[in-house]
Amino acid sequence: MRPRKKGTWALLGALVLAGSLGLAACGGDDSGDSDTDGGGDTAAAKGGIYRVGTTDFGFNGGFDPSGEYLGWAWGLYSNLLTRQLTGYRHTEGAAGSEVLPDLAEAIPEATDGGTTWTFKIKKGVKFAPPVNREVTSKDIAYAFERIGTGSVVAQYGFYYNDIVGMAEFKDGKAKTIAGITTPDDSTIVFKTTKPVGDFPFRLAMPATGPFPKEVAGCFTKAGEYGRYLIASGPYMIKGSDALDITSCKTMKPISGFNPTKQLSLVRNPNYDAATDSTERREALPDGFEFIINTNDKDIFDKIEAGEYEDSVDAVPPDVARRYSGDDALKDRLKGNQDDRTNYIYMNLAEAPFDDVNVRKAVNWIMDKDALRKAWGGPFYGEIATHIAPATLYPGSTALDGYDPYATENSAGDLAKAQEAMKASAYDTDKDGVCDADACKDVLFMNRSIDPYVKMTPIIRDALGKIGITVKVRELPTGPAYESSGVIANRIQAGSNAGWGKDYPDASTFMVLFDGRNILPTGNSGYALVGLTAAQAKEFKIDYPKGGVPSVDADIDKCSEEVGNARSDCWAALDKKLMEEVVPWVPYLHVNNTTLLGPAVTKWDYDQFSGEAAYAHVAVDPSKQK
Amino acid sequence: MGRYIIRRLLWTVLVVVLVTLLTFVIFFVMPKGDPALRFAGKSPTPELIQEVKESLGLDKSVPEQYGLFLERLVTGDEYGWPGLGKSFQTKQAVKPELVQRAQVTITLIIGGALLWLAIGIPVGVISALRRGSALDRISMGTALFFVSAPVFWLGLLSLYVFWKKLGWLPGTGYVSFGSDPGAWFSHMILPWMVLALLFAAIYARVVRGNMIDVMTEDYIRTARAKGLSERRIVLKHELRTGITPVITLLAIDLGVLVGGTIVTETVFNLQGLGNWLLVAAQNNDLPVTLAVTVLVAIAVSLFSLIADILYAILDPRVRYQ
Repeated sequence: MRPRKKGTWALLGALVLAGSLGLAACGGDDSGDSDTDGGGDTAAAKGGIYRVGTTDFGFNGGFDPSGEYLGWAWGLYSNLLTRQLTGYRHTEGAAGSEVLPDLAEAIPEATDGGTTWTFKIKKGVKFAPPVNREVTSKDIAYAFERIGTGSVVAQYGFYYNDIVGMAEFKDGKAKTIAGITTPDDSTIVFKTTKPVGDFPFRLAMPATGPFPKEVAGCFTKAGEYGRYLIASGPYMIKGSDALDITSCKTMKPISGFNPTKQLSLVRNPNYDAATDSTERREALPDGFEFIINTNDKDIFDKIEAGEYEDSVDAVPPDVARRYSGDDALKDRLKGNQDDRTNYIYMNLAEAPFDDVNVRKAVNWIMDKDALRKAWGGPFYGEIATHIAPATLYPGSTALDGYDPYATENSAGDLAKAQEAMKASAYDTDKDGVCDADACKDVLFMNRSIDPYVKMTPIIRDALGKIGITVKVRELPTGPAYESSGVIANRIQAGSNAGWGKDYPDASTFMVLFDGRNILPTGNSGYALVGLTAAQAKEFKIDYPKGGVPSVDADIDKCSEEVGNARSDCWAALDKKLMEEVVPWVPYLHVNNTTLLGPAVTKWDYDQFSGEAAYAHVAVDPSKQK
Repeated sequence: MGRYIIRRLLWTVLVVVLVTLLTFVIFFVMPKGDPALRFAGKSPTPELIQEVKESLGLDKSVPEQYGLFLERLVTGDEYGWPGLGKSFQTKQAVKPELVQRAQVTITLIIGGALLWLAIGIPVGVISALRRGSALDRISMGTALFFVSAPVFWLGLLSLYVFWKKLGWLPGTGYVSFGSDPGAWFSHMILPWMVLALLFAAIYARVVRGNMIDVMTEDYIRTARAKGLSERRIVLKHELRTGITPVITLLAIDLGVLVGGTIVTETVFNLQGLGNWLLVAAQNNDLPVTLAVTVLVAIAVSLFSLIADILYAILDPRVRYQ
């Protein structure tokens, strides 16, 4: 899961909401217009500077594409700065989830039983100044060497572990990766140890380069290359041309990027649009400015005043409510499906959630509508009824209308919850209310920020109806995640979690239920689906008498599928998880929310990055302030 | 006096050591999770976590880390002297950022302090001299309002009025004096005013209280009996004694504000030390937290020393051994 920028209101925003200016808190029936036809009424044209405000860049890898794992950063790379072998249209919905060739002339069919991929690279694609030379297959091979170099800390390097020889390279037993060869400057061949059906998607991720070794080779510690990034896309970091690449020592950080203040992009003079397509990138503005503004409220005031075009931060509920209620303004408010699920997890290794009937009862009782209202209402997302958003099952209709715990208005159903609880061993008198000690003071993790804190009383109230009392521990976002990821902490349940795709394939959700991925610290599958007795012993926790269900075999099977069969396979697993394993209460498929300034004449949403499609935005400078 | 100053400077070193030690202890004892996990992605193998820890310098024991921090602070590191390391979050050297942000914060504090002294002292004196009058009640009522008003509310309100509605001022952000003095000034007026209103209110009340105490002293009655003019009594005797405690107050405030203007900086998007410290604390960014902590500890100690010296100069009864 890539972390995301949007989603919660900043500290100052929270203060404002609580303060005496009287701005309303979220709630009610906000419903935003989510079309993507642009915010303005004038024709899109080239020119101008597109300005974006954010309270914090939030980069977790120093903006080095080899390690950076922030969704918004991926959007910047793939829309504007770097081109990978494959890419996307940078548009909304299914069209935006289809993987296309970018640097590659075409996406080849895998040969050798699905284990060999041979790509031909387009001619005429050049690196930005000061490198000024053509991109070759060796620049892509070098990107994979960086992924395999421990000190670079490639945070999602595990996606490439199936490449032949990657393990040996990582261990220092080989100087090159045996499974990557470059017969000539325009050909690169990948060999994998097993069929990897989604390999083209993995090649669209920014760590796969290309990177010029003469520059990137000087920066092999985590995050260092971010301030020296050499572009291959339509824009480059401002000041890139002044970088002195005579030697590693002569290089000073590119002036247009200060990680605590601003990122300025200008046109890359070496970009040849003939090697690209306007379907992927229109590159209309002359430049971009991404500006840190510590005042969240001020960002939206500046958008309204025409001083910014949009923001990276989520639209606060009071702003969304005002715009959605005004016919003249509502077109400037965008809510787009983010391929992300927020959920309540239950730890299958801890009582009372080691009983599937308790987990089903929790699904039946939860008032998902109230939880969504805590987030601000329908503008902030669709109520979730299964694990991964439907967009991650392209070509499959298996989950259309699927809701195994359907209740009236999604408000929960006490009778059905009690029915499920009666079947549980923890309800000894079979009255539909848990009466075992295991249901008292359940350790429940949540975040200490809005809107999560607003969910706490809703969850507490719902669980109380079936006899589960919770001891809630609220922590800031990072500590809450990190604490939940330590198995020895024995967190029994929590609502601090959300998960987004890495690329448009349900596999990027199902990794959470792969028992082989369970780690003692830094664990992401908080429900511990697939935990074995041996693992429990290793992690020094008790193993439930009834065991823990596993879907490892299902995951292996689906991983080798391609096309619609692959989507159907994952969808079937989603159903199995919801009905038989029941590790979560998924409650919201979260929207990305955006407010556009008056000068924006064209805007689209990038389904891949879950942020604005900067490749397709345009601005009218005459309307800017 | 010289020995006293040297002794106090040595105390400052001890304060810095203790404060940084406390910061270290809090960082590692508080339940904030492992900072390395934040930069290790979703499937952090033990090897990857170890790589991250090495890159952040967290692979050593806590005492070793602290020892290394002190050593680098004194002898410097790859980014020069003093050695403050690089940020966990941005992977950039802390020192240049610290210098840049300190300039913003000092600009804010000095401008604000000049304003609050210019407002607070006269208001306090006039209120004391007109004690019980309507002017006194209005002054003190206004002071109570500004003491009670949350800074973020005042900041947002002032932006709403002077930027959004009236358009008289340019809104948030910082422009350096060197690049455009006019823009620098226009961007700083509101933050100065907002910071100053809170402190001016406090200072007015302190000065008023001190003045009223002094006005009842025997030597003031004696001065008046000797036939000194009222103006001379107020300026030479009452005010001098009445504002002496303000110097101590000012010194402490200036020192604390080096890292304490968090809300003002956040509201006005002034990327100074306070806002940086807040973000660092939220992100478990230890090197940044330590750097600002060191600076604040030094600032508080030095301002306190300056206050003591000034106190001795202004009040002959106070002398140091």
